[in-house]
Amino acid sequence: MAVAEPQLAAPLAARRRSARLLPANAARWANWSIAGLLGVVTLVALLAPVLAPHDPLQPVGQPQLAPGQGGFLLGTDGIGRDVLSRVLYGLQASWFAALLVIVGGVIIGGIIGVVAGTFGGIVDNVLMRITDGFLALPAPVLAIAIVAALGPGFVHTLLAVSIVWWPFYARIVRGEVRALAARPHVEAARLAGAGTFRVALRHLAPGAVPATVVTASLDVGNLVLTLAALSFLGLGQPAPTPELGADAARNLSYLLQQWWIPTMPGLAVLVLAMVGNLAGDAIRNLMEDR
Amino acid sequence: MLQLAGKRLGAMVVIILALTAVMFGLQKISPLDPVHAMLGQSASAQAVAAERHVLGLDQPITAQYLHYLAGLLHGDLGTSYRTRNPLSSDLGTAFPATAELTLYGLIFALILAVLLAVATTLRWPGSWLFRLILFVGASMPPFLLAIGGILLFFVNLGWLPATGRTSIHNPPTGPTGLLTIDGLLAGQFNVVTDALSHLLLPALALAIGPAVSIGRVLRSSLVSELRSDYARTARAKGQRERQVLIRHVIRNAIGPALSMTGLQAGLMFGGVLVIEQVFSWPGMGQYMTQSIPVADFPAIAAVTLVLGIGYVLINTVVDLLQAAADPRIDV
Repeated sequence: MAVAEPQLAAPLAARRRSARLLPANAARWANWSIAGLLGVVTLVALLAPVLAPHDPLQPVGQPQLAPGQGGFLLGTDGIGRDVLSRVLYGLQASWFAALLVIVGGVIIGGIIGVVAGTFGGIVDNVLMRITDGFLALPAPVLAIAIVAALGPGFVHTLLAVSIVWWPFYARIVRGEVRALAARPHVEAARLAGAGTFRVALRHLAPGAVPATVVTASLDVGNLVLTLAALSFLGLGQPAPTPELGADAARNLSYLLQQWWIPTMPGLAVLVLAMVGNLAGDAIRNLMEDR
Repeated sequence: MLQLAGKRLGAMVVIILALTAVMFGLQKISPLDPVHAMLGQSASAQAVAAERHVLGLDQPITAQYLHYLAGLLHGDLGTSYRTRNPLSSDLGTAFPATAELTLYGLIFALILAVLLAVATTLRWPGSWLFRLILFVGASMPPFLLAIGGILLFFVNLGWLPATGRTSIHNPPTGPTGLLTIDGLLAGQFNVVTDALSHLLLPALALAIGPAVSIGRVLRSSLVSELRSDYARTARAKGQRERQVLIRHVIRNAIGPALSMTGLQAGLMFGGVLVIEQVFSWPGMGQYMTQSIPVADFPAIAAVTLVLGIGYVLINTVVDLLQAAADPRIDV
């Protein structure tokens, strides 16, 4: 034991020190500013039509200009459209699509989770078996089949991804609600004569909010990537509409000579996913601090 | 253990049945009419009625589903609208390419995950590189990784080929369909090395994302297990940190990483569709991507079914492996 202690203590102490490299306040501040990146990206996405220097659909210069040439920051594509403008519009579509799917998933999954958790028993059993069934299937592949059946398009893609995405939220919300249902304050509310609906809405559902917010924020990055993959496969909007995944896929033939044409939209996806993941971690840290 | 295996296999059958029901249901709600897809839009009413009868569409819906299910059990996946071939023969040629790519992707992912986790836990020199991979890898779209790989290793360095499975004209065609194994069996080692050089880039591009997710889970369970009492006892006996890790900790920490591996396999099946398109890989992904623009739903459903069954199989195996690694597990 005496030999072991220092060995064990050393890495732990080092870890603690590195965790407290910043004073508590500064760490909070850092987390808040990283979480604020979500707002910044949302603002950029909202302002895409203002920020884009050119029309994303019309050729505005020589085709295949390298980044920086002729005043085009990210160059021009195969028929002379401004890559930067297309990326900005594509970023808008990607970002809001991811947020919409999360809202959809949270609403569907939240309702199912609250119902299952509140009623328990057979209702819980049936709903959770259905949820497990969805979780047991490969989500991205199933989403592709759903979009293909409905016909490619933006709304159908959102619908399909929401359909495969809600089970995660149903599981989390149901777990939180089940745990809360056994707590004294809920029993007190029942004894005070509150109906099932009121108990579920006022006393159970709010308890599931923190866990759901953390999961949802950690999900933004995943969703950006999944939606980009579907768009890459041709399941997004039809041709001239700027979309990050589709723009990369359609311009693959330029890769060997004009690398920037397919690469820039991919880099935009990377940036979006990274912001989503960083902000998700920051929001989780902030929630855990409370 | 036997009871657990029985339960898991039962659940597997139920889920696969559910998957077939979903695919059948999607075909039904789809606005694409299979009769017109086969005959063209201007077919006469008589021809349409005859074709409906041939396809069994004039029967009640439960009978149609049972017919579909019976077909599946006989290996009949339907007929492609695009190629007019039975899907079982079309996918039969595409399947080995996808299987080989996914297999190598999974192997690379596991090796990389263990490297990432162990290097960052034990703080090897140079582990900053692994930290960087853990950080960026989680946000990297697979197609961007593939594009970057082609630009670096094909365009700039010229070390690796960028498209296809092999550049050898008549590679061995049996018995497994996996070029690296068939080449080995046929004694043609140039086929093996050529196939490996074609596999390296796409399999790595496929592997990074799952490797990062698995690596993160493995790393966090390694860190918590290294603080446990039994690890301290092992250190007290005078074992070095590496021995403690290899002899005692890995076995206890592997469980969560294994279930993550099962989950990530699902994402890999999504990723392989994208990767195949970038590398012109002649597998099921490319087949499906060609089917999407022409709304060839039977082809898409068949690929989904094959990938879905593969996913369910992998997860069942993972569950059983987990129970074997940790006898306390009993679900």
